Amino acid sequence: MNTFSSSSSSREDVPLQGSIPQSTASLDSILCTEELHRRPSRPPDYEKENHALVKLVSALADSPSTIFHTLAETIQNITQCDSAGLSLLTRDGKTPHVDGQRFYWPAICGMWNPHVGGGTPRNFGPCGDVLDQNRTLLFTHFERRYPYLMPVSPAAEECLLVPFYVNGKAVGTIWGIMHSDRRKFDAEDDRVMASLGKFASSAYQAWMHIEELKVEVAEREKAEAEVRELAKGLEAKIRRLVESNIVGIIMFNLDGAITEANAAFLNMVQFNGDDLASGRVRWADLTPAEWRGSDERAIAEINATGIAQPYEKEYFAKDGSRVPVIVGGALFAGSQSEGVAFVLDLTEQKRAQQRLEEARRSLYTTQAELARVARLTTMGELAASIAHEVNQPLTAVTNNGSACLRLLSNRNLDPEVLKRALQEIVADATRASAVIAQIRAFIKKTPTEMSELDINDVIHEVLALASHELQKDQVSVDCQLTGTLPRVRADRVQLQQVLLNLVMNGVEAMTGSQPRTLSLQSRTDESGNVLVAVCDSGTGLGSETDSLFTPFFTTKADGMGMGLPISRSLIENHGGRLCASANSPHGAVFSFTLPVAGETNS
Amino acid sequence: MTAAPLVIVIDDDPSVRSSLKFLLSTVGLQTETFDSANSFLHKKRPDVPSCLVLDVRLPGLSGLDFQRELAARNICIPIIFLTGHGDIPMTVRAMKAGAVEFLTKPFRDQDLLDAVRIALDRDCARREQETEIADLHRRFASLTSREQEVVSKVVAGMLNKQIAAELGTAESTVKVQRGRAMEKMQAESLAHLIKMIQKLQLSSDKVA
Repeated sequence: MNTFSSSSSSREDVPLQGSIPQSTASLDSILCTEELHRRPSRPPDYEKENHALVKLVSALADSPSTIFHTLAETIQNITQCDSAGLSLLTRDGKTPHVDGQRFYWPAICGMWNPHVGGGTPRNFGPCGDVLDQNRTLLFTHFERRYPYLMPVSPAAEECLLVPFYVNGKAVGTIWGIMHSDRRKFDAEDDRVMASLGKFASSAYQAWMHIEELKVEVAEREKAEAEVRELAKGLEAKIRRLVESNIVGIIMFNLDGAITEANAAFLNMVQFNGDDLASGRVRWADLTPAEWRGSDERAIAEINATGIAQPYEKEYFAKDGSRVPVIVGGALFAGSQSEGVAFVLDLTEQKRAQQRLEEARRSLYTTQAELARVARLTTMGELAASIAHEVNQPLTAVTNNGSACLRLLSNRNLDPEVLKRALQEIVADATRASAVIAQIRAFIKKTPTEMSELDINDVIHEVLALASHELQKDQVSVDCQLTGTLPRVRADRVQLQQVLLNLVMNGVEAMTGSQPRTLSLQSRTDESGNVLVAVCDSGTGLGSETDSLFTPFFTTKADGMGMGLPISRSLIENHGGRLCASANSPHGAVFSFTLPVAGETNS
Repeated sequence: MTAAPLVIVIDDDPSVRSSLKFLLSTVGLQTETFDSANSFLHKKRPDVPSCLVLDVRLPGLSGLDFQRELAARNICIPIIFLTGHGDIPMTVRAMKAGAVEFLTKPFRDQDLLDAVRIALDRDCARREQETEIADLHRRFASLTSREQEVVSKVVAGMLNKQIAAELGTAESTVKVQRGRAMEKMQAESLAHLIKMIQKLQLSSDKVA
């Protein structure tokens, strides 16, 4: 098939552009157009001509792709020439283009048939001459002026070329060639060619139209393929989302129906695919009455914007239990009532939240309990020295009593000796009971007992309690107490606990330090509050000042980290403040303030 | 026993000190009291049978440390420990180190008095033994070196003839030296001499 669409094997026997060798032969010397009318002309064969035109028309209708070839055949048939063909302007050497700078040969019949695909330049060749002069031209041995045609064999004795135009623009020529002088073109050939030239215009137009259509169709197909591909990819992604069952997904309409749902949603509400198919699963029916308001708000939102932002609600499951969920949805584009929604099961989150709530409550209880335990632990640390404190007077009482009994049974009793011994017994017993009273006050989980008291008394009591620890660790105590302080309203035992805690912390902080001096101060501060400071010469606070009052923070190997947090909360309950700072040159100062009695009536 | 025994009480609590002194006085015992181990160590000890009554939990030097300190200074004195809250390991340690008794405050008066009596008896016995050994040392030192040589061979069970052969002297000479040694050692019989020499060897072993 010598259609131009299949003529990709174009012959490059004529240079497309670039340096075209010039020759001396003038255009006039190769033209003999005028001779056509001087030659004897054969009579027109209209029957044959009509026949050929019908053949061309039907070819155009039936197989437009072969139209150029049929045209070439027809030219050869009617003019009885040796070669016939057409030249079309092209840019790329293969496809017709009105702005082309070169002619190419899409179809050739006869002896030049092997040169299909070849061609000539626009501005220096026979076709160009024809378009320039805008008329039929007859050439004889045009290779004399256009040497690039020399290798195109056999040589053209005569060549008759007719231009053709589409919408006023030259697009090509049709031509016939005689390779010998067995016959000369005549006026009849000129007429027939002109007639065929008009036909070529129509054919070209039809062809171009078909080509445009082809391109259009191809583009449309390409676009459709892309859309199909995109849709396929998107569908796959959506299907993945739906079928992964990570979240519940439903297709719904605003009337209350669920038209489609994935397994995740159905499992959530304990329905199955059959329930869904029967139309029994309706979101409106699954919604408990108290959540209808939320649904209505969501529907109003969806009507206004097309989208319902996620909101929390509950669904009834098939067994009547409730499923807490979060739902968000959107209407399908272009739909007034149908859409898609995701449904996330919140059961686990709600359960976890509840557990967290319970844990938090139990933590509060535990903390309260720990506060008591911590108090007892401080007690436990002191228990050993307190036992000693109690045992000393008891031992003295026992010894004195036993001695008296011995003297009595020996009837060797000086009343003065007895009196002295009994006085000692009474003093020691009193001492023991005082210690025990202090211990009891410590252990007892008594409700707060507020009374007006002198803070200096509390300081002395605590120093007495801690005296053994202070002595054991060879800590010297420096009391700088202001004698006439206003009284504070406080729970004595709680203040003892706080102060004892601070004193014991101070003693521990000074383990290994020299000198070990614990200084206790009482005074009024600039706001008129009573201030108590416990200053140690220990290792100091370092960078831990911020963490000191955090529960369970401790720097002690066996500490619980509750002492300071509890102390602070006790002081704060009294309307005061407890804070820590650095001592100079080293060590720490823990001080607390208390409002003066009568100024706070809380 | 000529010198009156002395009970030494060390406790930081004045009530306990005075009550102990009172209690011990009811059985006629002399008491000297100290408020710390150091104040005791700084005072010269009278040369009489004595014992220590002391609180384990002393300020400064603890009771058990004090016990070690005494041993290091080679001071032999029986100790009765008093404690407010003695635990078993502490008790075991004290008893192993030679404590007479370990009493938990408050204690029965009789328990303390019994313990004091035992401690003083033990100290008396020790003192007597020390006196006897010192006496034997003095007697043995009064022998000439040849007499000491003869005595050691006699105690080893050698006959006069054997001793003479070994020392390269006459049997009659050995006989004379042996008789003189018996006299100086105040030995009533050969068995008595052997017993005395054994005591000397034992005490020197102990010292070594």
